[in-house]
Amino acid sequence: MTTVVDERAEKSESPAESGAPGRRGPTLSLYGWLMTPGVAVLAVLSIIPFLALVTMSFSRVGLLGGVSLEWAGLDNWSRVLSDPDMWASWGRTAVYLAATLGLEMLLGIGIAIALHSVVRGRGLLLSLILLPMFVAPVIVGLLGRYLTDSTFGLYTSLLRSVGYDGDILGGTTSAFIAVVLMDVWEWTPLIALIVLAGLSGVNPSVLEAAAMDGAGYWRTLLHIVMPSIRGILLVALLIRAMDAVRYFDIIYVTTNGGPADATKTIPIRLFETAFRFFDLGYAAAIGLMMLVVTILIAQAFVRLLGTKGQTS
Amino acid sequence: MAALADFSAKEAPLPRSGPFRPAPRGTRRSYSRRGFLRAGALGAGALAAPSLLAGCGDDGTAAVPPLEPGDDKWRRFAGTTINFISENTAPTAAIAANLQPFTQLTGINVQIVNLELSALVQRVALDLASGDAAYQVIYADPYQVLAPYSAGLVDLREFLEDDSYPPVEGGLDDFIAVQLDAAGRFSEDAPVYALPYDCPTMIWQYRQDLFDRYGNQMADALGHDVTPGPDRTWEEYYAIADWLNQNADEVAYGSGHQAKQHDSLMNDFSNVLWAAGGDYFEAGQEVGLLGMEDPGECVLDSEESMAAADFYASLLEIAHPASSTWDWDGVGAALRAGEIAMCPNWHEFAASNEEALPGKISYAPLPRGPARAANMYGGCGIGISTNAEGAERGAAWLFVNWATSPEVQLSNLKSSAGGGTPTRRSVYALEQVQQAETRPSDLPNMLTADAVFTAWEPQNIGLRPKIPMWNECDTTIFTELSKMIAGESSPSEAMTSAKSSIDSIVQRGWVA
Amino acid sequence: MSTGSAHQRSGPASQLVVYAVVAVALLWTLVPLVWMLMGSFKNSADVTAKNPAFFFEPTLANYRGLFGGANDLVPYLWHSVVAAGVSAVLSLVLGTLAGYGLARSAMRGKHHLSFWIISTRMAPIAAVVLPLFLMFRLVGLIDTLPGLILAYMSFNLPFAIWLMSAFFADIPPSLEESAMVAGCSRWQAFWHVVLPLSKAGLVTTGVLCLVFAWNDYAFATVFAGPNSQTLPIAASQLVTQTGIDWGQLSAIGTIVVLPMILAGLAVRRWLVTGLTLGAVTGE
Repeated sequence: MTTVVDERAEKSESPAESGAPGRRGPTLSLYGWLMTPGVAVLAVLSIIPFLALVTMSFSRVGLLGGVSLEWAGLDNWSRVLSDPDMWASWGRTAVYLAATLGLEMLLGIGIAIALHSVVRGRGLLLSLILLPMFVAPVIVGLLGRYLTDSTFGLYTSLLRSVGYDGDILGGTTSAFIAVVLMDVWEWTPLIALIVLAGLSGVNPSVLEAAAMDGAGYWRTLLHIVMPSIRGILLVALLIRAMDAVRYFDIIYVTTNGGPADATKTIPIRLFETAFRFFDLGYAAAIGLMMLVVTILIAQAFVRLLGTKGQTS
Repeated sequence: MAALADFSAKEAPLPRSGPFRPAPRGTRRSYSRRGFLRAGALGAGALAAPSLLAGCGDDGTAAVPPLEPGDDKWRRFAGTTINFISENTAPTAAIAANLQPFTQLTGINVQIVNLELSALVQRVALDLASGDAAYQVIYADPYQVLAPYSAGLVDLREFLEDDSYPPVEGGLDDFIAVQLDAAGRFSEDAPVYALPYDCPTMIWQYRQDLFDRYGNQMADALGHDVTPGPDRTWEEYYAIADWLNQNADEVAYGSGHQAKQHDSLMNDFSNVLWAAGGDYFEAGQEVGLLGMEDPGECVLDSEESMAAADFYASLLEIAHPASSTWDWDGVGAALRAGEIAMCPNWHEFAASNEEALPGKISYAPLPRGPARAANMYGGCGIGISTNAEGAERGAAWLFVNWATSPEVQLSNLKSSAGGGTPTRRSVYALEQVQQAETRPSDLPNMLTADAVFTAWEPQNIGLRPKIPMWNECDTTIFTELSKMIAGESSPSEAMTSAKSSIDSIVQRGWVA
Repeated sequence: MSTGSAHQRSGPASQLVVYAVVAVALLWTLVPLVWMLMGSFKNSADVTAKNPAFFFEPTLANYRGLFGGANDLVPYLWHSVVAAGVSAVLSLVLGTLAGYGLARSAMRGKHHLSFWIISTRMAPIAAVVLPLFLMFRLVGLIDTLPGLILAYMSFNLPFAIWLMSAFFADIPPSLEESAMVAGCSRWQAFWHVVLPLSKAGLVTTGVLCLVFAWNDYAFATVFAGPNSQTLPIAASQLVTQTGIDWGQLSAIGTIVVLPMILAGLAVRRWLVTGLTLGAVTGE
């Protein structure tokens, strides 16, 4: 996808491609050529759909006998901004994002610290803990449903034995917690992996020196280890945040937004608008709004990364 | 697909299912053997050795040369391959497990794509938009496909009135009338967009053993007859559920419902709504039968509708608490697992009920309310994409004709893959089928016959609005109901809010 | 990886805490997976038993049903392997080239270009699917493996470019410069000096692209048809009107998950350096 700013970026690429005579000439050209195939494929796959999306967002879209567009002015946009259900979904999405990312950070760091203190068999333990991140989200969702089924779910029967008698995916709060935990189950390992690598990568002598200074373990962690992995942690969070806004597989196969809309996050609402109601103009407006929000989140992360830009 | 054919060859012995071509006039009962021989002679001749059938479909298309035009109406498109996109329902599972006879008969290969309903709707809409048919035969859910996309479906009179095609056996009159209108037509009397293919209908499913054991005791305690049947009222259903909650230890709860935030919740609620005299639109049941573009104002805020919502909320309060996580599968599984003593559910679950709890589950029409009894009809037809062209278009019709024929409807009923019940009156008239209506039954879905026949009477059938924007209205309805059940809104708030949303959805109109 | 020395400071008490945390983490992680694996060997009664069945008579019926019954899984498996494999390789190749170009180029607006690249990965799936669908239809790519591969590249390619460029940015340009002093061309310096140093990055990127594509569900529901269905689609198809066959679903889940777990574990060592190279050793 692109924005106005990015289109400028597109244009500014062309001098590099054409070899920018007078500057470093041939070398620049090589880099330009190296970029061309990838960027070109990406451009085709993203710029055309983006433009189509913008057009659709100002139209009523008919499907039969080939797509037809009927000018609708700002209808879709005024609806997307004034629909209270939509704002409720945004609120839910924000809570979902904060809860998943927060828990993943907290648990990931905790697990990494614990693993780091294990002397023997760390490799094996890490391997086991990593497993969930390779599981397809749709399988995570289906497995989650199986485990929390009110009749034969393993987790349901465990909760029953400690006195919980509700239904996990039936209650509004419990269903929301359940889908958050499914996401947390899948992605905490990624954070743990990264933090552990950070811990392992810190020069032991630095830690020794910190110990000499009398700095406690936690202070060392906070002041020496964390800053050194801040960059990659932010990148991981960025990717997670983007995907958490985008992906809907887990919720789609578990609650599909219910009960009582408790898990109807924005991507679920978008999917429903596009492929249940086929209100494609409205869906385009929702999609673009999502894109703007995601880009803002990404910008915020990039700014947090500060001068340590990943690509510089 | 080759393996599919292989599977069918092993699981469903061919002689029993027959070759499914309309019998020569006047020889209805002998279709099996004669058609069998004929198909064998015309086809690859491999029928006698089922194990050879595996590669037959693929080889058949390439190897069998087209016959002389006009020689056999069933074989004029031999060698064509068509795709059938269907909801993953029991009848399609039965057909998928037994496609070989069709290939034998016509030389046409059929690939079946089975999808969950919402995925199906998505694919169909995209396919219609593409202007080029990837799927020639479409499972046309009346509410989610037919109403919004009737313009993308072929008016089947094109084939019905053309005698270069084999005729529909028994004519359109052999279909159950209300089903042909509800599943096959949209907004007008004449055009037929789909032929009725399955006919799930919601009925009262209950544990016969528990009613036998507690019936008298219950009747004494409650002061009224408790035998499930068309004379019971929803109030009495409530009282029975409540009594069973407290007195029957065999089950956790008396009643269970498909009250997940899902289409199923709208279905479950509608039975109560209509029984109470409420409805979705001013146009009432008329909008359910033929359907229309503009159904008028939403009447969910009427006194009757509100009363229905009130009652439904209280019914769910005493129902199994997991009801709010169950769709029809969930509540069906719960009944089979002995969690609940009764539930309203689709009649097609009878076969799996009988397998899990043989002899223990019986069926009745749903209770009535102050206004009437209403049994939600959920049948679908199959139709043809207007994008289908040439031989594929004709081949698609042959498949539609075949798949809805009495022979195939009968074989679905018998299928071990758990088919549904027929959409053809003539099949219900067969002796072997009628015998199966009582235990011991070798066609357990027929145990529901009495209940569904009552349900299909025009005054008892429940038809949801057939309007192009139903999907969105449906979502609004089950979302508001879900909030009501979760205690987040009162019944009257739920209905008022649903009404205002639906009015604005309908007002926005539909661009197909 | 260094062995680390933080643990030396931990007393026995905190060591106990450490093991408790690890044990809980292991349970939390593994129970669902083990339960799925067990479920795949249960018969239909055990798999939905009201009291979870820990001991049961194992059966292969679920697997047999997947490969011999009405749902023959082999074509699905093949489509998944081809679509995910090819899209990962193509994304890796194009992503490596573009990533290197991006990392070394000194052009103006590089940050914008780089941000645009990653922003393409933020596209809301359900919204872009329709325009992509129409484009693909125009050129006949619907329901084909090339179409699916291209669809997967729409999210894998930006990811690969971005990750690889982070890698290359981390390799000091002085290395290439000295190689060029020794007589290499720019390309040779890249091929013989830079690439071998980026093994961890290549492996990490490749495997993650593979995992993302293999696990995709949303794109496949739209772009795959009868001739290109993938495994996650097969899994969702087991959710049918007459109920969910949890035994078969567990079996299919196991089949979907196992190759990715094996791939992931095979490259775990690189994954750690791969994912963290830029942040940990850089700056």
